[in-house]
Amino acid sequence: MKTIHWNKVFAITATKTSAFFGKNCIIMPIFAVGFTLLMRFLYAYVIGDEVGVPGFSNGYALGMGLVMNICMTGIYCPALLLAEEKEKNTLRALMTSSVNSLEFFLGSVIPVFLAAVILNFLLIPISGYSMPASVLPIFALVNILCALISCVIGMLLGIFAKNQVTAGTLLSPVMMIFMLIPMFSMMIEVLEKISEFVFTGVMMDLVIGLAMGQGVSLSGLQLAVMAAELILAVILFMAVYKKNGFEKD
Amino acid sequence: MNKEMIRLSHISKKFGDDLVLKDINVCLQRGEILSFLGPSGAGKTTTIKIITGQLRQTSGEAWILGQDAGSMNEMIYERLGLVTDNSGIYEYLTVYQNLKYFARILKVPEARIREVLEQVGLAEHQKKSAGKLSRGQKQRLVLARAVLHKPEVLFLDEPTSGLDPSTALEIHKMLHQLKEEGMAIFLTTHNMEEAAKMSDHVALLNEGVIVEYGTPEELCLKYNKTKRFRVRLAGGREELLTQSLETAKQIAEWMARDQIETLHSCEPTLERVFLEVTGRELA
Ligand SMILES: Nc1ncnc2c1ncn2[C@@H]1O[C@H](COP(=O)(O)OP(=O)(O)O)[C@@H](O)[C@H]1O
Ligand SMILES: [Mg+2]
Repeated sequence: MKTIHWNKVFAITATKTSAFFGKNCIIMPIFAVGFTLLMRFLYAYVIGDEVGVPGFSNGYALGMGLVMNICMTGIYCPALLLAEEKEKNTLRALMTSSVNSLEFFLGSVIPVFLAAVILNFLLIPISGYSMPASVLPIFALVNILCALISCVIGMLLGIFAKNQVTAGTLLSPVMMIFMLIPMFSMMIEVLEKISEFVFTGVMMDLVIGLAMGQGVSLSGLQLAVMAAELILAVILFMAVYKKNGFEKD
Repeated sequence: MNKEMIRLSHISKKFGDDLVLKDINVCLQRGEILSFLGPSGAGKTTTIKIITGQLRQTSGEAWILGQDAGSMNEMIYERLGLVTDNSGIYEYLTVYQNLKYFARILKVPEARIREVLEQVGLAEHQKKSAGKLSRGQKQRLVLARAVLHKPEVLFLDEPTSGLDPSTALEIHKMLHQLKEEGMAIFLTTHNMEEAAKMSDHVALLNEGVIVEYGTPEELCLKYNKTKRFRVRLAGGREELLTQSLETAKQIAEWMARDQIETLHSCEPTLERVFLEVTGRELA
């Protein structure tokens, strides 16, 4: 186990936070917010009260927005920020200034993770859905797990990207999987089944179930899916990191 | 104060079947500047990467600050400074913020930031975003960052390559000062004037082999086979004379009549030495 010097981690966190607010990254959470608003008004118009449960269209919009944010902020931003450090040769500068890989990983992931978690909460009022307070602990748990998994996946993909352009190309197919499967699960039956085994799908199902008035509960399967995907992402990341470091030449 | 900072012994490096470093032996003491002078592709950067633990040698031993370069951890970098073309800066941060970032990592007090900013002549640009700096200013920022924590060994991989002469001169001055303060400096260059001016010892590196090693003066004198003198006489006439009894008499005669305006010995430059040893040009 590597030692962690928190002065280094927090220095990296501070700089990564300003990088996160740079124009390449900040459009991702903004996009998630815009998308949620769009869905909110679109569904209010299209679905209306058809389902017969008040607030369903808002809940549906929330589910869409959450999945979007987990993918756009949670996966895309860490990958992009890592690719940027490689492109500008600043990663090498850090690593030859006594920063170790664990410190770099933590410093990089902390701000994006926090941003994703906080924004997931903010999306509740943005979607107009009134979530009962009793549900918040379970929502928080799923929120945190999803943000964590997505950040690890983002870092993993970032290893393969030499620069920001390749990061974009590389990420698109992965984002499609984690984004579109849960989003279209209500419409396409096959996807509904697959979606149960995708962490973003767990989040979607949780919110939809809630919106349909089915109450909230987290099944053993759902917990297992998230735990398994977190462990898998970490193992994959460590394996790829061990082989290549953060830079795959 | 003969403290050994770096020792390379029988270092070889292969990339695939390509042998790019062959039996490199060299050491660097405290307060000394050692230069690797060689054309591009000679293996200078590879040598720095091996000593700083970024690359593993194929055989031989590399020691830095008493540690084996292959098995040390990242904490060694708290005692090293690096200026290479892989040393990126954060373009969206200001000059000051760039240094502040690394000061936090390396636990350097903020007063030191202002000190190095003065030293590299960037004090008046400290609020500028680093992306807007000129090439020479960027290089000075990288240098400022490299010496922020007063490292014991400073590595400079072609630090003045592509810079204007006045910036290069300022960097040379600063290196001189750092060396006086006791820093050990490992410099690589393909510029023979830089090597001649800056180095306590020079290793001429050609295709991964140190073909000559010594002080710049030693090397130049060693290859001074036919000693020649350039004389400029009153009236503007120039003569190139080769060492001989006649030359001695001739110079004595001119000197007696106070006709000599300038008199220079024509020992070879490091560039000529390199050409003579390897049969190829530096650039
Ligand atoms: N990662 C690498 N893989 C394969 N060959 C390399 C690698 N790095 C350097 N080389 C080769 O090693 C030789 C020395 O390179 P380098 O040390 O960069 O030279 P210099 O810094 O003196 O210009 C060159 O022929 C270069 O092509
Ligand atoms: Mg080089």
